[in-house]
Amino acid sequence: MIPLVSRPSRASALAACALLAGCAQLSPDGGFGPLREIVAQRTGAAPAWHRTPEEAAGNQARVAQLLPAGGRLATADDAVQIALINNPDLQAAFAELGVAEADLVQAGRLPNPGFSFARTHSGGDVKVERSLTLGLMQLIAMPAASRIEARRFDQVRLQLATRVLATAAQTRQAYYRALASQQGLAYQEQVEQAAEAAHELAAKMAERGNFSRLDAAREQLFYAETQTRLRRARREAQQDKESLARLLGMAPAFTLPERLPELPAKIDDAADVERQAIAQRLDIQAARSELEGLRLSLGLTRATRLVNVLDLGALRTSESGKAPETGYQVDIEIPLFDWGQARVAKAEAIYMQGANRLAAVALDARAQARLAWRERQDAYELARRYRDDIVPLRHRMSEENLLRYNGMLISVFDLLADAREQAATVNAAIEAGRDFWIADAALQLALGGPAAAENRQGTQP
Amino acid sequence: MNPPSISRRAFLQGSALAVTASAASRAGAAGLPEAPLQQSPLTQPPLSPANGRPYQPVVTLNGWTLPWRMKNGVKEFHLVAEPVVREIAPGMKANLWGYNGQSPGPTIEVVEGDRVRIFVTNKLPEATSVHWHGQRLPNGMDGVAGLTQPGIPPGQTFVYEFTARRAGTFMYHPHADEMVQMAMGMMGFWVTHPRDPKFMRVDRDFVFLMNAYDIEPGAAVPKVNTMLDFNLWTWNSRAFPGIDPLVVRQNDRVRIRIGNLTMTNHPIHLHGHEFNVTGTDGGWVPPAARWPEVAADIAVGQMRAIEFDATEEGDWALHCHKAHHTMNAMGHGVPTMIGVDQSAVAGKIARLIPDYMAMGDKGGAMGDMEMPLPENTLPMMGGRGPYGAIEMGGMFSTVKVRRNLARDDYRDPGWYRAPAGSVAREWRGEAPAAHAAPGGHHEHP
Repeated sequence: MIPLVSRPSRASALAACALLAGCAQLSPDGGFGPLREIVAQRTGAAPAWHRTPEEAAGNQARVAQLLPAGGRLATADDAVQIALINNPDLQAAFAELGVAEADLVQAGRLPNPGFSFARTHSGGDVKVERSLTLGLMQLIAMPAASRIEARRFDQVRLQLATRVLATAAQTRQAYYRALASQQGLAYQEQVEQAAEAAHELAAKMAERGNFSRLDAAREQLFYAETQTRLRRARREAQQDKESLARLLGMAPAFTLPERLPELPAKIDDAADVERQAIAQRLDIQAARSELEGLRLSLGLTRATRLVNVLDLGALRTSESGKAPETGYQVDIEIPLFDWGQARVAKAEAIYMQGANRLAAVALDARAQARLAWRERQDAYELARRYRDDIVPLRHRMSEENLLRYNGMLISVFDLLADAREQAATVNAAIEAGRDFWIADAALQLALGGPAAAENRQGTQP
Repeated sequence: MNPPSISRRAFLQGSALAVTASAASRAGAAGLPEAPLQQSPLTQPPLSPANGRPYQPVVTLNGWTLPWRMKNGVKEFHLVAEPVVREIAPGMKANLWGYNGQSPGPTIEVVEGDRVRIFVTNKLPEATSVHWHGQRLPNGMDGVAGLTQPGIPPGQTFVYEFTARRAGTFMYHPHADEMVQMAMGMMGFWVTHPRDPKFMRVDRDFVFLMNAYDIEPGAAVPKVNTMLDFNLWTWNSRAFPGIDPLVVRQNDRVRIRIGNLTMTNHPIHLHGHEFNVTGTDGGWVPPAARWPEVAADIAVGQMRAIEFDATEEGDWALHCHKAHHTMNAMGHGVPTMIGVDQSAVAGKIARLIPDYMAMGDKGGAMGDMEMPLPENTLPMMGGRGPYGAIEMGGMFSTVKVRRNLARDDYRDPGWYRAPAGSVAREWRGEAPAAHAAPGGHHEHP
């Protein structure tokens, strides 16, 4: 191989290499710092990436501090904090950041020069070739490749941040789900007690001849059904707690508060959820960054018309069942027949494709933000209706029923049936409260940042 | 008897001056007699006739008699049909329809042969009419809306005029939408006295109507569609302990006239005396045909006059003998708890229902329990006597016979003080040996 590069261009290439090599050092935190910043700003909880045994040990200490063994997981924020530093799936995902950074650094490194020595025989002739080779292609492509890798690194970081935010939202939702089903279980236990009391009383009455077998059997049936419902509620509570524990990356050896947090006194109006989503969502930032890359690539094409890196966008191959593969390919051609007009057209088309993709992502984001806001608004109204009207009315009915019992207007069985109904209403109210907090977390995710529930911190139990 | 409370127009007391200056200003222009109002739920003293033919007036239990004016030899009355608030007993008020401020309306008293003109003003939201139950009168005065007259539209005044031909005991009530209007309390008593005041003269002549309401505990308006399952059994729309006693001087000849406008019969039982049924809807019972009784069944739509000599001093119960009718609002679907030990379950229930208290396991007596009830609701049984709770409500009162009362003194003399040794008491001597029923005791081998 004989290098065919003129002296001045070699010099400039070497200079560029040196410059790039200088920029592209492996960072001490593997590029995690900006990711942590993004997440912390949006969730109030900072993720951690444990790359060494020391860091892992430090993490355990931090978890223990947030949640002493068997301790009380007091708030959803604590749960999110633990998940962000302890969820093993996230730790595995963080490793992608390392891979991307290594690629970036690799792209900016000068290829090592090499010697080649060839000795060939052709009949009686012996041919010896000695050459000094340098990865010229790589050298030429290096600036473009570095830019591309830098952008890819950015994108990996954004994708990871998105994933961390999703995990935070899932954790928050799992926390409320586990808490609500545990709270519901407590009421289901009350219902079971009421049914048990009615059953025992009915059995006694049947024994003494005050009740027919039919009436006694009715109470017995109700008791049996209540027991099955209780069992189901217990199973659901266990499942929900396990789901939360899995997200926290630990065994379910913790307790939860007895009650869901109070509803916020008010929630924001919807004035700018769409603007917030556009400004904050990481998928939009990723699409925007991709488009920016395409724009630069298009410029590159116009300048050189020889180096084709447009396949950055095009090279998004996906096979079913696998994650899409993105990358780039650099070709250098000898411009004998094709002077690149078609390539420019293609470049423009691909750029437009990217622009439209950004538009689609933004449209999706707006729709999700609107929907999530609407859903949270509805969930809030519903939960408030339960808290302010339905539960107090149910309570008043129970008080009135007790007065009627006092006046011998209704029987103790009516009273117990009423207690069961009251418990069912309270359960529905708990579910409404849970749905609000879940919708709140979903809105947070849809906005790519903190949702608007006011005094969130202040109202955590 | 409680002292009469001040009604809106004090002239009602004793005097028959029916028209006052203020009344004249309202009614005079229209040529109508005054329509006085009564708002006290208590028994008013008898209204002695100031003009017209003389008669011995009646006492309306927890009610009053409507004053009249004489105009050209005609007795003119003015009834106003209107919504009223009636205290069923202290602690409960019902929103009813009635006449002249009260349900039932005032008793109308006339004398056999009187020409009577009654103005009826309708202040109800629907048309009404007045049927003069039991009277002989021209067909067009019988008050059956649609049949003998058009209904009296809201806001309008109709006039009825006839001669009270037959002495006896009567009632008045609407015959227009009567199911609703009577369920709402539209009714009143009518007495036509004999032309000769000495005819079957008595010392005390009490009247009341029996009526029943279905008012949901905590509510105030009767359910007008109820047919049989009423929960308030009342005399003149009052339930015990809201029913005044019938105060009687010992050895007075006493007449009690009772009309039944409920939808079931009521066996009215008097303690301590036998009585004769001396009058029915159709008139006076000839002495030879009278039956001595201690309980007279008064069927739906009937009137009975019973008479007795109040020879026995004391506080004698007078009540309907249907046991549920001497109860106030109660739950008819409540299961019997007698004999069921609730102690084990009571704790469990109390954990769910903090103020719960087990009841009924030893029976139904609860007169001494004081537990909060729904508002505007009477306890199932209420009222206290000198020896404790009187476990009654509804159609229950007492005839209080006392030795030293003045002729027209109807004031409540308080509880009877029984002479020493004349009250049932605990036996402190040796218990008599228990005897087994014949054949009821077997030795086991």
